[in-house]
Amino acid sequence: MNCEEIKNLMDAYLDGELDLITSQKVEQHLRDCPKCEQAYEVETAMAHAISQAAPYYKAPPELRERIQSSLRNEIGAKATRSGIRGSQVMRTRKQPEARATLLGMPWNWLALAAAIGLAAIVASSFLPRLKQPGPDQFLATQLIASHVRSLMADHLTDVASSDQHTVKPWLDTKLDFAPPVVDLSSEGFPLIGGRLDYLDNRPVAALVYQRRKHFINLFIWPGETGAARPTMPMSHEGYQLLHWADSDFNYWAVSDVNANDLQTFKQQFETRTPHH
Amino acid sequence: MAATLEAEYAFGAEVLESRGKVVKFAVFQRHEEQGAAQEHELVSFEAMMLPHLDAAHNLARWLMRNEQDAQDVVQEAYLRAFKSFGGFHGSNGRAWLLTIVRNTSYTLLKKNRAADLTTTFDEDIHASDRQSVSPATILEHAEDAELIKNAMNNLPAEFREILTLRHQEELSYQEIGEILKIPVGTVMSRLARARAKLREYLTSQMSQEK
Repeated sequence: MNCEEIKNLMDAYLDGELDLITSQKVEQHLRDCPKCEQAYEVETAMAHAISQAAPYYKAPPELRERIQSSLRNEIGAKATRSGIRGSQVMRTRKQPEARATLLGMPWNWLALAAAIGLAAIVASSFLPRLKQPGPDQFLATQLIASHVRSLMADHLTDVASSDQHTVKPWLDTKLDFAPPVVDLSSEGFPLIGGRLDYLDNRPVAALVYQRRKHFINLFIWPGETGAARPTMPMSHEGYQLLHWADSDFNYWAVSDVNANDLQTFKQQFETRTPHH
Repeated sequence: MAATLEAEYAFGAEVLESRGKVVKFAVFQRHEEQGAAQEHELVSFEAMMLPHLDAAHNLARWLMRNEQDAQDVVQEAYLRAFKSFGGFHGSNGRAWLLTIVRNTSYTLLKKNRAADLTTTFDEDIHASDRQSVSPATILEHAEDAELIKNAMNNLPAEFREILTLRHQEELSYQEIGEILKIPVGTVMSRLARARAKLREYLTSQMSQEK
């Protein structure tokens, strides 16, 4: 390689974007050519200056709050527009305005509005609501959201395979841990595939199993050693959640199958996983 | 208010009664599911996107070059992101969010201050010879936060953004290419030009000091 070629490759070399062979060639040239070596030192100094000396502007805490409240307003506004149901915003702040317009409306619209209003009242009083979500409750909501999204968005699996020897290596390369993967076809829970997900501020493995027409999402991430807790069955908004842990991992199974099926699933999974 | 609600309730019940209880139940259930799904979507959106708030703010801050605009951009970007979250199926949430932050920034930059998009770079600076300052001198000044900040802020927006994405967020060429909508080869050449410009600026500042 001549100096001109090196000059063109230097930035990619610095950024670690060259393949191994080319990278070694550049390295060799830099050892032999003081002029290029000096140019490279300048480049490194520049890169260092930007990453170390240039200010990194972290978001101020009030920005997070502003964003969260604007997102909640967005949901509230949507609910009001499409008349979905009585969200907090609609029931408290928006109610007087909504009532004022209702009075001036034709009869059949009033009937529709009344029906929607009724639906809102019923929905809001019977919907199991989290008043003060604890960490587990918050996680449960996240887990269900993840489960629902995986079914809704047509994104159940990143790797679709009933072969545990395909799913496991795929997950191992994508994660900084190696979750246990077993096919439970013979137990009535065939493995459908695996997916990467993001929960509790970390990437997690999601294994997808089928039970008749239903799907089970099994979320796995490493637990703190010795933090194994007893099984906790939970039912939340029509979904069953089951949590358990072994010495290495946290497990959360989420599904709309009945509680007994999920319990069976857990037992079968535990029996078939090599370690406890 | 209670009286009106009661009236609505009674009337609503009557209407629905005439259509049969099954319909009534189905209507309630659907509303309940939609509302719950929406809340779930928000929780899942926040869990996935709020961890990248600092990255979003940092990029917007470098692009807008002032704090108030940066915050407005980030808030608007999160709202836009949430509205199109249903269409996001990828695994790189940070790159996806930063793309939206960048687009939002440019919308505002174009609207408010078209001049910011073109270089404010002084042509005289380009003339200085890069070899006249030794690596040691550059290294010496590399710790000078104020100097580096001013140098960065003197670059055009396309250079500011690529330098922060590469050196502060440490994104790969591939990821930068996705965010900026340019091929990887262009990422490489633009980064090289950005660093060269920065070096020229620093060199000129240093030779002025002498």
